[in-house]
Order: sequence, then structure tokens, then C-alpha cells
Amino acid sequence: MRRAGFRIRVGRRAAGAVVAAAVVSLTAIIGIAQDPPAAPNGSYKVPRTPDGHPDMQGYWTNLTYTPFERPRALASKPFYTEQEAMEAFKRAVADTTDQIVHYVNSDFGATPVQTGARPNPRTSLVIDPPDGRVPALTPEAEKRNAARVAADKSRGPLAQTWKDDRGTVWCVFHDRAVPAVVAPYGSNYHIVQSRDWIVLTYEWNTEHRIIPLDGRPHAPAAVRTYAGDSRGRWEGDTLVVETTNFSPNRNFYGSDGTFTLVERFTRTADDTIVHTYTVNDPSTWTRPWTVELPMHRINGPMLEYACNENNQDGFATLKNARAQEEGRLAPMDAVKRGDAKATITEREEQGAAKVLGGDTQDGNK
Amino acid sequence: MRAATIVVAAVALAAVLSVRSGEGQTYTAPRTASGQPDLNGFWQALNTAHWDLEPHTAAPGPVLQLGAAYAVPPGQGVVMDGPIPYRPDTLAKKKQYAANALREDGEVKCYLPGVPRVMYMPYPVQIVQSDSTILMMSEFASAQRTIYIDGKSSPPADTWMGWSNARWESDTLVIDSRGFMGGTISALDPEGAIQVRFLDRAGNYHTDGLHVIERIRRIGPDHLSYQATIEDPNVYTRPWTISMPLYRRLEPGLQLGEFKCEEFVSDLVYGKYQKAPAR
Repeated sequence: MRRAGFRIRVGRRAAGAVVAAAVVSLTAIIGIAQDPPAAPNGSYKVPRTPDGHPDMQGYWTNLTYTPFERPRALASKPFYTEQEAMEAFKRAVADTTDQIVHYVNSDFGATPVQTGARPNPRTSLVIDPPDGRVPALTPEAEKRNAARVAADKSRGPLAQTWKDDRGTVWCVFHDRAVPAVVAPYGSNYHIVQSRDWIVLTYEWNTEHRIIPLDGRPHAPAAVRTYAGDSRGRWEGDTLVVETTNFSPNRNFYGSDGTFTLVERFTRTADDTIVHTYTVNDPSTWTRPWTVELPMHRINGPMLEYACNENNQDGFATLKNARAQEEGRLAPMDAVKRGDAKATITEREEQGAAKVLGGDTQDGNK
Repeated sequence: MRAATIVVAAVALAAVLSVRSGEGQTYTAPRTASGQPDLNGFWQALNTAHWDLEPHTAAPGPVLQLGAAYAVPPGQGVVMDGPIPYRPDTLAKKKQYAANALREDGEVKCYLPGVPRVMYMPYPVQIVQSDSTILMMSEFASAQRTIYIDGKSSPPADTWMGWSNARWESDTLVIDSRGFMGGTISALDPEGAIQVRFLDRAGNYHTDGLHVIERIRRIGPDHLSYQATIEDPNVYTRPWTISMPLYRRLEPGLQLGEFKCEEFVSDLVYGKYQKAPAR
């Protein structure tokens, strides 16, 4: 227990120092974000690559404390005042309760404020519809999603196969990479450009998007992929990327990969890229909707994220599920720390590895 | 005796190298906008090095049901100064790994293939080149190498694809890679853990002691000369070198396909903890 207290204290101190650093640049950010999107970079002169294209290269993060959808109480308030934004930011940092059983994210320097998040004058990342919320599903999509939920529920509370999402992480594709949805940590990018290609490597799962800029047509309709089929072009200082052909295995806010995505990346300062995107799927949403994510420069490098190679969570989830079925492990709600996965791992670490052999030692059967 | 052998080998190697590097000596690589030799494009090996780096005859494949479709095609080998200089004990291990390749080979489990293996797998490698960074991306498992031009940093941690610094020596890109993972750290599935990293499907292997120096050069509009010198004192008695051309993929509109192979092996890897296969 003493150790846990120490860990939290260290994390808070470090976080406080970063808040101070982040707040300094708020005024500049507010000025940018309140400009109309038509000329988002104002008088800033965007640096060029040797090929003459706007230079987006380097390391960036879109980590933020701004909620994806706007709280309903703020429905008619898309922007904070500068003071409100700073207060909201400080409050969010202070409220970061990242002390789930095994991780204290601040210990790893992994909370957003420690890794580049800055105050945002916007009250939500969804900026259109005007209420800042994902639009209503169509009746067709409601039906589809109800069927999916029912099918999943029929499989029971425990993971039967690796495909069942029961709180664990699988490594096939990290779907926050595209369309971009901010992760709790590690939501970082490395951008590299050649004349005809731009590569956006997302830290989680090292998901890279290799985007051609040479005007080629989209891949045939039969080729559908998790990351979709992206085509980029320069419109003035802005990179416009259109992505189609998403896999039917995707489920993005109710759409099974039948959505299209149009993104715009504009460098508005040496340390900022404004990334907006619009998704559309008439079979899923009652209207298109738009998100704005500021990307802030961070220091590199970005390390390899070898997910599949190190996926202990996969083994733990399935082993625990089988152990629970066979009565060798207490169900989740009976475990005092509330985390069945952690419990079996912990016991193994303590040398009570016989759990799986049916030799429980602590009455947790 | 051993020293004499090494000298002879070195002289022979130098002779071979000079002959090979003579190829396309009149060819001048086109330049990027900033004047570097242009390596951008899709490149692929056309040989059987991914089956076995050393000379080998045709052989039945490891899975009876796959018959001729997955039999081992013959090959002349790509090792310039072979045989691969194992010690007696590591040669014995190599044979043991070869006999258990389906279990021991990370390729089967869709693990990141490492270096130099990623360069001669039967998948295209796309190079995207900027002044300071070169990305080499394979279709297999979406493996990515990030290569820092004139980078000086040491590897911050061991990784599956290693840490690569490079420099231009005239028209040749010389890449120095270290910091490789030697196997899985799997604690929850000791049976499924892999102990070493395979360089091919024949059980040739390395450990976390691996150090690779690659030399890549344009020798024509559609060809690269690719050489890699492989060093690992945990396994070999001396550094050794492989050499092969890499060929440009010429299909118009080519792009790397998405080959997220983890989903094809998860039933295999997690099967014993599942009630039934997911598919």
C-alpha cells in the first residue's frame, strides 16, 4: 500500500509541472481554432519539403482531455472562454483516475498531460452537428446494431474465442488509428513524406497508413481493409485524404465499414496540425458528421508497438474464462479487487500457479 | 589453422564482392529532390532465401496435407561466405529448431520478422524516403522499419524490427541495426513462447546479440543490390554475409496490401484456451 501511495504522489507532481507548460500556449491555440476552417493557418507560412509540398513531418500527438462528444449541458456552447478552457484542462488533469489494478499511467509518463495534451477551447471534438454529438442512427442501423448486441450477448459473459471482446485487447487492428479517435495514452503519430507518398504511423500497434499522392483511383470494391483505402492530394497548404473500402469487420459508431471518410490536415503553426474529418454513411447516420482534432508536436522517437508478440492479455482473458467456467476461479463480481484477469495473474506471480490445476489456496473458489 | 581459414575466406569474399559490385557500375542512380540516391518504390526478392539461406535441394514441406503447394523449392543459397559459421553447439540447436520449425518459427505466429529476414520474405517491401528518415515497410504483418539517416542514438529498448541508423557512402545506403528482441517474453503461455528468432524457415537463427550491417545500392532502374552482414557472437564464430538483388515491382498502381495475419493464427496460438475455433 505504501508503494501505491508513493507512485500516485510522484505522478501528480510530474503532471502539475506539465500543466504549467501546456497552459502557456493556450492563447495561440484558441486563436487558431476559432478561425474559420477555410483559412485555418492564417498568416503562418507552412514549411516545404524539398519536393515543394507542405511539410507535415515529425512526431505529433492528438492526446487531449476534450471529450469526443459534447456534454449535453454544453449543447449550445461549442467554445470555452480562455479562462474556462484552462480551468477545464486543470480539472481534467486533476481528475485523471488512472489507477486501475495494474497500471498507474502517470508512473509510465503515459497520461495525456505528460505526453503532449494541451488545453483546447472546444468543448467537444465533434464539431458538427452543432450540438457536438454523433447524429442519430437510421432505423436500419438501429436494427443492425441490436442484432449485433444480441448475438454477442448470446455468447455469454466470458470470452469463448479470441474474437469475443470481453475487455481484452487484440492486436489485429487498432481501430482508433482511422478514423482518428483519441486513445487514453500513446495516441501519437510519426509522419514521413516522399514526393508521391505520405506515411502516418500511429503508435498503437504501429498502424501505418501509407497514402499515395499521385492521383490514382481507389482500389477495387472487393478489396476491403481495416484501415480502408486512402488517397491523398494537396489543396493549397492542406492535405486532403479520402478513404473508402473499409472492412465489414469494422464497427465505427454503428457503421460496419460502409462509411466514407474525408480528412483535412493543415499545419497552422510549427507545433500544430489541425486535423478535421467528416464521415458519411447514409445507411447508418441521419447526416454526415465532423470531428476536429488538434495535433501537437512532441519529441521523438516513437518506438515499435509489438502487440501480437507480447499479448499476455489474450492468454489471461481466455485462461480465466475457462477457469471460471470450471469453477476454479471466482467470477468477476466475487473478486474483491473487481478484476478477474488481474486476480489470476497475481496469484501466478505469487507462486500460487496451481490455480489452473484446481488447487486454489485462498478460498476464492 | 582457423586464422588461416578466415584469411582465405576473407580474400575470397573480397574477390566476390568486387565482382558483384562491378555490376552496374556505370549506372548512376536518379536523385530525390534533395540529391540523395532515390530508393523509393516497391522491392522484392525473387529467390528461395526465405525457405533456406543456404544451398538446398527440394524437399517435402512440413504439412503433409499441403503437398506440393507448400513443398520446399530448391535454391542456390544467398550466403557469400558459407556455410553459416555456427559453433558445434549452436549448429546442433539449429538442427533442433529446424525439426520443430512449425512451433519455433515466429513467421507461423505472425510475429514481426526482424532484419534481415523482412527484406527477402515473399512479400513486397515499400521504401518511402525523406532526407532524414527512410521507412521500409513489408506487406507481411505490416512490419515497419524506421531508419534514421545519420542517426547516432543507441537502441532505447530491444524491439522486433531493431533500431537502425544509416549513412550514405557515396551511392550506397549503409544501415547499422542493433537492439533486437531474441524471442518472446511470454509468461502466461510458456509452451507457446519462442526462444530465438528465425532467419528463414530452415531453422537458421539469431539471438538478441544480433548486429546487422546492410548495404543497399541502385544497380539499375529496376534493381537494388542488397547485402547484409550478420553478426551474433551468441551463435556464430564470425560475421557472415548474404547478397542478392531486389527487384522492383512494376505493376501500375501497386500499393502494399493489408495482411493483418494475426487473425489467421489466433485460433492456433490461443486454441487450447478456446472452446472452439473462432472460425
